[in-house]
Amino acid sequence: MMKSLLYKEFRLVAHPMLYITLAFGAMFLIPAYPFYVIFFYGCLGLFFCFINGRENKDTFFTATLPIKKRDVVKARCLFAAAAQTAQILLSIPFIFVRQAVGMGANDAGIEANPAFFGFVFIMFAIFNAVFFISFFKTAFKAGKAFLMAIVPLCIFVAAAETAIHVPGLDTWLDTSAPEMMVRQIPVLIFGMLVYAGGMLLTYRCAAGRFEAVDL
Amino acid sequence: MELLKVEGLSKSYPAFTLKNVSFSLKEGRIMGFIGKNGAGKSTTLKSMLGMVHPDSGAISMFGRDFREEEGYCKQNMGIVLGGIDFYMKKKLKVITGVTKKFYPGWDEGNYEKYMRIFELDENKRVEELSAGMRVKYLLALALSHHARLLVLDEPTSGLDPVSRDELLTIFEKLVKDGKRSILFSTHITSDLEKCADDITYIKDGEIVKCSGKKEFLDSFQSLREPDEKELSLEEIMVKMERKNYDEEFAL
Repeated sequence: MMKSLLYKEFRLVAHPMLYITLAFGAMFLIPAYPFYVIFFYGCLGLFFCFINGRENKDTFFTATLPIKKRDVVKARCLFAAAAQTAQILLSIPFIFVRQAVGMGANDAGIEANPAFFGFVFIMFAIFNAVFFISFFKTAFKAGKAFLMAIVPLCIFVAAAETAIHVPGLDTWLDTSAPEMMVRQIPVLIFGMLVYAGGMLLTYRCAAGRFEAVDL
Repeated sequence: MELLKVEGLSKSYPAFTLKNVSFSLKEGRIMGFIGKNGAGKSTTLKSMLGMVHPDSGAISMFGRDFREEEGYCKQNMGIVLGGIDFYMKKKLKVITGVTKKFYPGWDEGNYEKYMRIFELDENKRVEELSAGMRVKYLLALALSHHARLLVLDEPTSGLDPVSRDELLTIFEKLVKDGKRSILFSTHITSDLEKCADDITYIKDGEIVKCSGKKEFLDSFQSLREPDEKELSLEEIMVKMERKNYDEEFAL
């Protein structure tokens, strides 16, 4: 049933903007750029999908299908996880291209390295938690939910970018040196665990709220 | 066998209360659910389907508890809620492609048969269909997964008399084999004169009467003025609703 729900999300709810943002990994080829912005666009793509679903009365369509009400939330969480993971995976080849052409260090922010992706997973977890839980309180106020979600997202990104200037952390986290990238892997794993755990908690909380909504 | 049983359904909103709604629907029957606009028809149907959380009450379908076995119940029913206005820009074949993935018992042959009977082109977009054709499309979807219970919220609203008559004729044919039942809400009482076996009348969130059509009509003949002939459904409803209206003016 989850496969069918995911199919429905991609076939009906997914907005073309989402697919465009999946290709934004190409922005790793910009010599100096705050790379978190690339994945902020991914959040924006997700927001477009929620708007698309709302404007097409997806909730009412889905309510007629042989599923439980909370499965509506589960479908959207799986959809977000699939889209965000795809955006990360699709961006990685561009980092290799960046290395191959010798573009050098990123002067506008953190380097594209394992630690950065760990932080991106945490950034997504924060966005998803606030956005989903806020949206499914009403199942229609997507704009308000998005605005509420980008505030903690921005605070986290600002904190993460600041942290890499702290002596000691800079040489560990803000580098693409191979031996240091190996030492960044725990940050990546930590980020992935936060993302997975966060998504589970987000689903439980958002589904609980959605159960109480009278459609 | 009762395909649907609603017992003691209640739901309170700040400005409206659904009070202890109970009725049941047997196999092979068409039940008209009537009431004026705002009487609680849609709230009842949505509460039945879990879209609105009732404060109390129990729903069973096909002898099973709806809340416990929502997936099973929905596998065996077709739902048409109000004006069908979701995914207006999508082609019917896209919506069908998504819908059929949710039904293991999907019958492609049946789908093609009903699309042909209802003269529906699956390459058309939802917005290109008339209101009547949209209802027919959703019926085709429901019949393609062998729905035994069809729940339709005001399916005839906004239809011209010819389309309404056509749809009601389809309803009659669908229940003819005695296996399916239809519950449809309406405020157009002439629909029920034509095809309903049972009538459930809701007024201000309360069920006034639920019975077979003849018994229903007979039970309201006491409202008749001495010089009036037998009251029709419309006249019964108008008299019932107007009574309160007059009282309010008297205050």
